[in-house]
Amino acid sequence: MLKTFASDLIKIKRKMIWFLIFLGPFGVVALEAVNFGLRYDYLTKLYADDLWGGLIGEARYLAIPALMLGLTIIASMIAGIEHQTNSWKQLLALPISKLRVFTGKFALAAVLLFASSTLLFIGIIILGIILKFGTEIPFLSLLKMAYFPYLAAMPFVAFHMWLSITMKNQAIPLVVGIVGTILSMMSFNFPDWFPWKWPSLENGWGDPIYSVFAGLGLGLIIYLMGSIDFGRKDVQ
Amino acid sequence: MSEFIIETNKLTKKFKNRYAVESVNLQIKKGEIYGFLGPNGAGKTTTIRMLLGLAKPTYGSIQIFGKDMKKEKLTVLKKVGSLVEYPSYYGHLTAYENLEAIRILLDAPKSRIDEVLSIVRLSNDAKRPVKGFSLGMKQRLGIAAALLGKPELLILDEPTNGLDPSGILEIRELIKSMPKEHGITILVSSHLLSEMDQMATQVGIITKGKMIFQDSIETLRQRSKSKIAIKVNETEQAWRMLLSKGIQAEMENKQIYLPHSSDEAISTVVEELIHNRFSVFRVQEEKKSLEDIFLELTSGEGSL
Repeated sequence: MLKTFASDLIKIKRKMIWFLIFLGPFGVVALEAVNFGLRYDYLTKLYADDLWGGLIGEARYLAIPALMLGLTIIASMIAGIEHQTNSWKQLLALPISKLRVFTGKFALAAVLLFASSTLLFIGIIILGIILKFGTEIPFLSLLKMAYFPYLAAMPFVAFHMWLSITMKNQAIPLVVGIVGTILSMMSFNFPDWFPWKWPSLENGWGDPIYSVFAGLGLGLIIYLMGSIDFGRKDVQ
Repeated sequence: MSEFIIETNKLTKKFKNRYAVESVNLQIKKGEIYGFLGPNGAGKTTTIRMLLGLAKPTYGSIQIFGKDMKKEKLTVLKKVGSLVEYPSYYGHLTAYENLEAIRILLDAPKSRIDEVLSIVRLSNDAKRPVKGFSLGMKQRLGIAAALLGKPELLILDEPTNGLDPSGILEIRELIKSMPKEHGITILVSSHLLSEMDQMATQVGIITKGKMIFQDSIETLRQRSKSKIAIKVNETEQAWRMLLSKGIQAEMENKQIYLPHSSDEAISTVVEELIHNRFSVFRVQEEKKSLEDIFLELTSGEGSL
């Protein structure tokens, strides 16, 4: 698996992918900077008890659409590298099982999005310090804000990886991803079983960890189904 | 282990109601350059895809190196290099990076990249992005990629498709040198018989999904026997005269055709004609080209 991952890392050289990985969290932090910059007095009054908590809460709402849109584009770009010049036939005629090829691509998307989440984590800390919110940084809730939505969004990472690989025309996965992003933004009224609600970490039990477990569980199932389907199909 | 490197048994692929490949029995011996011929859409690429495990046969089996492709696909593929149709490459990467991405998967030593680049003479362009390459260079890069894992079997699908004459020549020379220098067995497909004529040792001809000929290229050449055509005035009378003298002849297109015969026999015929006061305009040998035989075998598919 490390081999396919290393090979895929070479393939994304000089693509916009790395830039996007940076752009997502940077965009969230920059928008929060504008948000707090323009309404500094109002927001600091509103969150006077817990300045860091306020910032984290605000950032979380922006991070969800960024994450959903980001995973759509990343999955599409990773698959697009092979679609572009029909490299699937060359890749899959190598002595590498299709399961490993699929897993390598999925792992690449997961690692890249993890990197994005980490950048968001660091970015928000820097922003908080610049905004003079003090040095009592609530690391635990910061970690939750940065990584929990990412873990809860795993079904979408797996689904988009499969969809983008299966379809040569990337318009369809992109449309599905954009619709999903919108759904996830207005998911508050949806029931708890609705996967688009999970990245928001809201659920009836009041503990975000359940959203994470649900995401990881369904993510694993979709990944397995996707890899079986990929292995079964003839290569175009 | 059987004597064949590739052996298929009733290999069949069905798409919905259409047979793309039907009961094909390929047999390729070690060290051969096997020319796999057929008009466009005859099933060559589908067969090759099945050989590489890219498509699953509907029916039939494939043995490569004496191993069943279904059970030991990855073991077999370790010793196979391939190039399917137009070249696959990553345009934004350099030639070297393209090969590196494949090398990692093959576990080949790094030095192998420079070796294969020099085999296909791309060493000087190794650091350039591939999107700026000409088609011939991309095709050579594809062959370099196929050679990375030191294969014992090379499967090349239409490697000269779309190349200019010098590119075709280059690829052809490259292919011809492989069995000699590296002991590689090669399966190469094409829709041009003339091309195969210049490099293949064995030929398989497929049309409409069925294998219609499989033998050495010499056997195919022997089919191209020559005929003697004689052009005279008053063809019909001349022909009747020859028949009455007991000479086998055919008349077609206002010409008389004699089956291939000795010089003496021809001179006798000409003598008879002149004796009977026919004017002999032309006596010429007409040889059927391999193309003609190919067209005949594929029953004028018309897609050449």
